[in-house]
This record gives sequence, C-alpha cells and structure tokens, in this order.
Amino acid sequence: MADRSSHSVYNIFNSMEFGPSAESSAATAASWLEKHSRSLGLFIDGKFVHPDNRETLAVSDLKGEILCSIVCADDEDILSCATSSAKGFQKWKEMSDSWRHKVLLRLASSLQRYSQCVCEVCDLCRIPGSAPALVRLAQYYAGWAQLRHTLLPEWNPRGVVAVVMSDDVFFYSVWLKVLPALAVGNAVIVVPGVKTAPPTLLLAQLLMEAGLPAGVLNVVTGNGSVGVRVAQNNQISYVTYSGSKQDGELLMKQMAGRGIPVSLSLSVCSVCPFIIFETADVDSAVDGLMDTAFKNCTEWRWVVCVQESVYDAVVEKLKFRMAGMKCVGVSDECERGRVDAAVHEAEQQGATLIQSRPPPSSGCVYPPTVVCNVAPSCSAVVSPPPGPVVPLLSFRSAAEGVALGNYRPHGRAASIWTEDLTLALETAKSLCVGLVCVNTHSVTDPSLPQSGRRESGTCTDGGREGLYQFLSASVTPARSEPVSVDYTRFGAAASRFLVPEGSNSSSVSRSCSHLVGGKVCKADSGCSRAVQAPGGTVLAQCPDGGRKDVRNAVEAALKVQPGWMKKSPAARALALYSLADSLDKRRQDMAASIHNQTGLSMEEAAQEVELSISRLSDWAALCDKQNGHVPLLPHTGSALSTPEALGVVGVVLPDTKPLLSMVSVLGATVSVGNAVVMVPSEKFPLPALDFISVLQACDVPAGVVSVISGGKDQLTQALANHNEIQAIWYWGSAEGRQFLQHCSPLKRLWLHCEEEEDEDGGKFWTKPSFSMQEEMWRECVVWKSVWIPTA
Amino acid sequence: MSDRNPGMDLDLEWVSKVRVNTQAVLKRAQQVQGRKVAKKEWQAAWLLKAVTCIDLTTLSGDDTPSNVHRLCMKATQPVRYDLLRSMDMHDKGITTAAVCVYPSRVADAVKSLKAANSSIPVASVATGFPAGQTPLKTRLEEVRMAVEDGATEIDIVINRTLALTGQWADLYKEIRHFREACGDAHMKTILAVGELGTFTNVYKASLVSMMAGSDFIKTSTGKESVNATYPVAIVMVRAIRDYYLKTGHKVGFKPAGGIRTAQEALVWLVLMKEELGDQWLTPNLFRLGASSLLGDIERQIYHYVTGRYPAYHELPMA
Repeated sequence: MADRSSHSVYNIFNSMEFGPSAESSAATAASWLEKHSRSLGLFIDGKFVHPDNRETLAVSDLKGEILCSIVCADDEDILSCATSSAKGFQKWKEMSDSWRHKVLLRLASSLQRYSQCVCEVCDLCRIPGSAPALVRLAQYYAGWAQLRHTLLPEWNPRGVVAVVMSDDVFFYSVWLKVLPALAVGNAVIVVPGVKTAPPTLLLAQLLMEAGLPAGVLNVVTGNGSVGVRVAQNNQISYVTYSGSKQDGELLMKQMAGRGIPVSLSLSVCSVCPFIIFETADVDSAVDGLMDTAFKNCTEWRWVVCVQESVYDAVVEKLKFRMAGMKCVGVSDECERGRVDAAVHEAEQQGATLIQSRPPPSSGCVYPPTVVCNVAPSCSAVVSPPPGPVVPLLSFRSAAEGVALGNYRPHGRAASIWTEDLTLALETAKSLCVGLVCVNTHSVTDPSLPQSGRRESGTCTDGGREGLYQFLSASVTPARSEPVSVDYTRFGAAASRFLVPEGSNSSSVSRSCSHLVGGKVCKADSGCSRAVQAPGGTVLAQCPDGGRKDVRNAVEAALKVQPGWMKKSPAARALALYSLADSLDKRRQDMAASIHNQTGLSMEEAAQEVELSISRLSDWAALCDKQNGHVPLLPHTGSALSTPEALGVVGVVLPDTKPLLSMVSVLGATVSVGNAVVMVPSEKFPLPALDFISVLQACDVPAGVVSVISGGKDQLTQALANHNEIQAIWYWGSAEGRQFLQHCSPLKRLWLHCEEEEDEDGGKFWTKPSFSMQEEMWRECVVWKSVWIPTA
Repeated sequence: MSDRNPGMDLDLEWVSKVRVNTQAVLKRAQQVQGRKVAKKEWQAAWLLKAVTCIDLTTLSGDDTPSNVHRLCMKATQPVRYDLLRSMDMHDKGITTAAVCVYPSRVADAVKSLKAANSSIPVASVATGFPAGQTPLKTRLEEVRMAVEDGATEIDIVINRTLALTGQWADLYKEIRHFREACGDAHMKTILAVGELGTFTNVYKASLVSMMAGSDFIKTSTGKESVNATYPVAIVMVRAIRDYYLKTGHKVGFKPAGGIRTAQEALVWLVLMKEELGDQWLTPNLFRLGASSLLGDIERQIYHYVTGRYPAYHELPMA
C-alpha cells in the first residue's frame, strides 16, 4: 500500500477504475514443480527419468522468469522410449475394452480432483488449458473405449502412435489426439512443444495414477528435431501432428518414404472468416468479436467480413466499445515489430484504424486494433500477425460474403452471424471449413468431428470420425527405408516416341483415346505409347498424357464438381446405377478387353466384369445411406455433422484387376460427390480406355470422371503439382509414394504398394470386407460440424 | 443534470430491423458477472458510487408519513457519518440519488426533505403503477398531480398491451403525452420487461420509449415475477448505446426490482462500465431502484472500515 494516496477511495470514486486484477494463485502448480525440483525429466515407462548429461531447455513464465527445465532427449532416450512403448502396446492391446474404459474414466475424475493444479501449470506456461474441457474429453473417449469392439469390429489399433506438437498448440489439442488413440488401444508417444511440456508431463502422471500400464503413454521432450526423430523410429506405426503449417510440411517431407501414414492438423495461425450479415444481432456479433480477437493467446486468427449495409454500424459500435481498452500482451519485441509492420503496411495502403489507444513506444504490448477498409491482398489479411489486430472487409451480398470467406488458404473454422436460419445453413454448407459456429465464435466439444481443409491439414479430429485415424482396417503398407529419389527429376522423363516396328503389317495396332474433362481425345502433346499384351505383341497405341491433360481434366472437373456435389444423393445413385447398367450392356466387350490385355481367361475376365457391375451397384446403393449425424453436446443448441466431398481426387490405379480396381475407386469417390481424375495402369490401360465408352453412355455428367493414360510417374508428378487436387490415392512404387509424401505434403494421401498379382492383392478388390469399404468411403470425405447454440 | 433527451420522430424502420440473439446475450451476461472489481478501497469506492445511484424506494400499501420520513432521512445520510469520515468521504456529498414513492406520498417526502434542508429529488411512480391498466386520462392526471405535489422525477409504466401487440405508434403517442404531462420533471419509463415476452420486444420497447423522449428507461416495477436480470439489462443498455450513436442523446438506465446485495450492485456497475463506458456511471445516467440494498452496502462498507461485520442494530434503520 505504498501509494495509498493515489488510490484513495475518493480518487477511485471519481475514476471508477477496476483496480488491479487479483494475482492468480499458482501455489499448487509451484508445489508440483518443486516436487520435481523444477527440473522435469522425460516420462518413460511410467516414471520420470533424468538421463545424465543431456541438454536442458528452460520454460519461462509471463515475466520471463524461469519456471522449470525440461530435458532434450537424445537418440538413446528415444530408443528406450520406443521399446517401452512397443511393450506397452502389447499389454494395452490385450486388455479388455472395459478396462481401458475404466482407466480413462479414472483419468477424468483425477482431472477433476487436480483441475486447480492443471490450470495453474497451463497458466504459468502461458498456454490456454481448461480443465472442464479436458474432463469432458476424457469422459467422451472413455465411452468409445468401452464400445470399441461393439461398434467398430474389424478395426484394429495401429500400434505405437507418435503425437507431435508444435509449441503454440492449445493444450486441449494435444489430448484431442492422445485420448482417442489410447481409447482404441494404441500406445502413444507424445512429443509436446516446450511450453506444453510441463502440463503434458503432469497429465501423463495423472494417467499413470489412473492405472494406465507403464509404457502405454510416454512423453519425450526436446528441441525442434526431436519430433522428427521420434516419428522416424521404426516402432512407430502412425504419426499425427498438430501445429503450424511450416513444421508440419517439414515433418511430412522427412517422413517421406518410410511407409508410415502421417496426418497433419494445422490449425495454428489458421485465418478464419468471421462473417457478419445484415440480419445479424450486430451488438452480439461485435461482443463476440471482441471476446475472441483481442486475447493474447488464440489458436486461430480472424478476418472480419461485414455486409455493407451494416458496415458503418459495426465500425461505430467497435469504436464505442473499444474506447479505452487496455493493451494486450504479445509474446516478445520481435512479434510486436511484426504487428507494427503489418498495421503500417495496411495504413499505407489506405486502411483506417480503430485503435483503443495509440501503441506505446516500447514494451511487449499492443492495443486492440481493427484495420478497416483494408486491401484483401494486404499481409494483415492474408497472414495476420499474432497480436490483437483484426482486419475488417466489407461485402455486398450474402453470396459475396461466402466467396470472401472462402477466399483464403486455410479451412479450419468460421463464425457466421445472422438471425436468418436459412441463410445460416446455406452459408454453413458453402464454407470450405471444418467447423462453422453460428452466432458464436467457438465451441469446444469432443463430439464434433472436424476436418482441416486446404492448408489447415489433412486430419479429422473429434467424434467417432476422429477415431479412425488411429485404426486400420486394411493391411497398412509395410515400413520401409527411404530410397534416394531425385524429386526434381521424378516423372520428368520425356515421352518416348515409338517408332512403329512394322514387322508384321497385318496387325497395325488400333489407336485409343483417353477421356479428359468429358472429351474423348488424344494426348495434348500428341504423343502416344504402345500397349503390349503379356505376350509382347503390340495391342494398341494409347495416348501418352502429361501435365496439360491433367490441367485440362482438373479445370473441367472444377466446373462440374460443385453441381455434382449439390445433386441429391438419390440423383447420384441413379447416375451410378445407369453406369452399372451401361457396363452390363457391354459386358462381352469389356471381358474381351480384359482378356486381350491381361491374358486372363475369358471366364476370369467375365467374372471381373460381373464383380465390377456389382461394385458399382454397391456404391450407388450407398449414396443415400451413408449420412452425417446430430452430435449431442452438453450445451444447449443444435449441432450437425456432415460428410462432404473433397473436391477433385487424383487416383493412380494398380495393375491388378484393371477394370475392377478402377470401378471400385470411381464408385467410391463419385458417389459422395467428388470429381475424379484417374490414371489407369501403365501396363494394362486398355480395359480402362475401353470403359470410356461405357462412361459416355451413362448419366454421370461429363467432366466428373477423367481417365488419362500415359506414363505413371509422369502423371503422378502432374497430379502432385496441381494444387486444386485435394487428395491422391496411389498404388505403385516406393519411389512414387515417397515422391508424393515429399512433394504434396498437404494433400490427403492414401498410398498403397503395388501388389503382386497374388491372392492377397486380388482380395483387396475382389473380396473387400465391410470395414475396407468403409475405409475407402472415409477417404473420400471430409467432415464439417455446424454448431448453432440456442437459449 | 445533462441535457435532456428531446426524443425524435418515431422511426419504425429502425424498430423493425431490431434483432437480438438470446443465447449470445445470455453468454454476455455470464461474462459480465465474471468480471471482478478489485477488493478493499476499490470495492468501497464502487459501493459508495452505487449508493449515490440509488433511488431509495418504498412502494407499499402501508406507507405512511412516518416511514416515508425515515426513508428520506436515510437518503440524506445513507452511510453512517463516522464510516464516511474514516474514508475521507464525509464531505463529498454522499446521498442517494432520489427517494421514490407513490404519488400520494410525494407531498410527505417533499416536506421531510425540505425540513432536512436536502435537495434530493423526489421521484414518484405514476400512470396506473404497476399494471398500467387504467384509462389514459387518469394516468395523465396522475402524472400532473405528482408533479404539482413537487415530484421532479416521474417513473411511468408503459402500456404492455400496446407493446405485446406491436402497436408501436400508439405506444409512442402515449409516452409522448406522458412526457408533456411531466413538464420539467424527468421521465423514467418502466418497460416491465418480465411481461414483454422476448428480448427483441424489450429492445423495440426501449427504442420507442427513447424516441418518445424518456430520460431514463427502467427495467421493471418490482411487482412482476421477473425483475431486473442482467441479460435483459444488456439488451436495454445496447438500445441506449444504439440511440446515442444515432442521435447523440444520452439516455439513462435504471434497473429495479430484486436488487438486494452489495455484490449485485457491483455487477450492475460493471455492466454499465463495460457496455456504456465510464460516462454512464453517474446518477444522471444510472439509477438503482432498491429498498433493502442500501443496508447491505452499508454493512460491507462497515466491514471495509473496521474489518468486522456489524450487528444489525449497529446501523441506523431505514
């Protein structure tokens, strides 16, 4: 009470200041840290270990004071950790569902008991973490642990899962990966960021107290490269990453060629649209914006889009409400510099500012700022700096608002404000994001499945759908070591002009066309390549497609795909039935084509055609059977979760079962509303090319399906380098798989070995189990959740 | 007193565009309640501010000159002199904002306050309080008589029938008449939010009342089953802000009914500060309609000064 005079009752009576906020207590957190002598070890095999002579990293609090140190794991530690996890997995896998259920439930109750400590540790480490949200998460996935064998038979845990996090991820996001992975029976190695390390270690300890067997959850800390080194360990079966785009891409590249699936959730710094329509409760929208945009730690960044007719009202209300707001802390001087620079750039481009007060000349703080009338190309809009700065754009019509909202590289979430239910649902449907919040800015509940779109990742988290990434139905590709691939030259080999070997003039081979964007044509380059029968005789000349054919196919696909997706599922089903019908009418021709191309007996060929017809009918039938659901949240309101088409899918088909494999993939992708660009087997392209006439005789709109023949590597490279292609399914060489992982880390990749023509390989296509079919379906869709809170 | 709100022509287009999202308002109300004022001197200062905003009220069938007199005396010295003195606030003119009584008691109150040499205004409820279900003619007469008796503030109740059936033009006209009848006396318009059905209706009624020239808008009579709640206050206060941004006129806000504890008084002040800013934190633009609230505030102040909780008999009776 040194300056009591300036804080006299009378002075405060006149100024009506809030006064200093109560110092948040950190006693329990401090005592936990003290118990570990403020140096936290690695959490391996159920206990903290402190290997000697390791580098350490300091974790500091808001004031820059050092809280504790964490160990930088080296290769030896990672090895022992992986061994422990492998053992842990064996134990954990053998346990009963109800036992796993019990462990997770006990975690929920111990989280409740120690919520104070968990919150305080999160606070100290400057990461947002809410204990009630974690409790709910644990309870939710405890339920799934109990029901796994009942509701997900045929699906098996993947094994040891590496969960890698960057530094600025929310604490909740860490456990949104770890708990579902544990619930279905995986062992997990968590690699948290530096700031998330202490609370992660605390939770690992709580899990151990809840009865988790040693080794099932290990925590390895360290600097930047430790995540990659853990992921590269040969015990790991699946890697999932949450964090920033840069690091995610890097991890993907470093995992290329290892034969292990990697998925990315890149929500950090995702720019999300905050759309205010004229029919909105503008005051609430402004409140919501101020609530979310001016905090010092947020995962998402917002771009505010306001309908022109209420633009002035929004600006005025913001000015009124923001007046006198205090500055918000930014993480350091350098960050503050970036914020300053972005705001200045916007100002120079003619933007006007709403600022609660002028920025102080120094210090790690910045006043809440809204940048109005900003150019959409300005860096403040494209990549807003992490700070209390929000750009404000205007739009004329609702349709333009959606376009503006979609016109950005990220696809994580959106907040839309309108009292018009129809408009809200239409907008929610059209936005390319994983989560749409109507009349609110966020919702955290594990029952909502959300997929990252575009640069926001390739992963679906939350809900039942979030479990599948930790399960596998089909045989996953075997682990492998990367081979040396020259990424710049992959698929760059020039087409070979084939000089006709006119040895036998009687059999002048026929010349085939391929299907690009609904047009039957030659390759854009004009080149063609010879197709040989197994005996070596040249059967035909097929187009040698390349980059430009892919480009044309994608362009055409982009035009028709939105319309195809909007068609009712019943209409899509009818189109697919007509395709099955069309194939039925030409079964003789197709069987002959397979026979000639692959050398299979006519009988076997006819069988493949028969199966293909039935497969198409399967997918046609499934069109209107696979649907979304209505998650039940513990809050009042309505939620909708729906599967949506990805857009354009590129497929490189196997040599096995050339017709059946193509038809299976076509049926799956097209039935949910995707467009597909298919590359038939390089060796056996004829059945696929002959199928074009079947396609043309059915009701599937032109452009939805393209079939481009040519060199496999060349076309793989062309697909990988087209950014409008959202997903690539690939059957082929190790080099090809490695190339794809390296060169298109942000596409959804579904990679398979080129199977030998043996029992197993054939089975994938001839006798797919229900779960394999479901897996294929899940690869075709992304999940969007819409949350509409009500009173 | 600041410039009075002269009102404006009824703008039905504005009224029709009003949209309120109930859940967002409820969420905001939760947030406001979570915002804490610091302890110690901050709390004491804020509580004294609340005291100066109180319309000390008695609205009972058994009101007589004697209890009205006691009420007036309490209004002039709302917090024990020695307590104020120890905070150095004894000479800062701490009184309640007004006393509020039924029309028939106005003369008694004016007499008591005059005798005590106090300039505290006397407010009177009028216009068929609390239901408003009497003919317009008698309601107007009631206002005029209260003003004649010396009331300088009139709390009128709106006709809920008109609001519920969406007859905004008629409601506007009625309030306009009341405003004329008030003359120089300030007019506080009671919306009786508990009987308006929806937040949207509350917002619309607030706008119409302000357009018709209300100096204050007030939540409730204290006689409905639902009184002043924070969500409904947020809706009204937003209407005030809207009106201010469009016309430049500041209209005051008065929550009333069910406000009993010092803690609640603090939340009300926080709500005003957060939504409308410091300029609304004066008796000119903010009133708390209450009867038993003052006692609790005085107890909290006693605790701040002495570090002990008082026995009930230690504080003067109201």
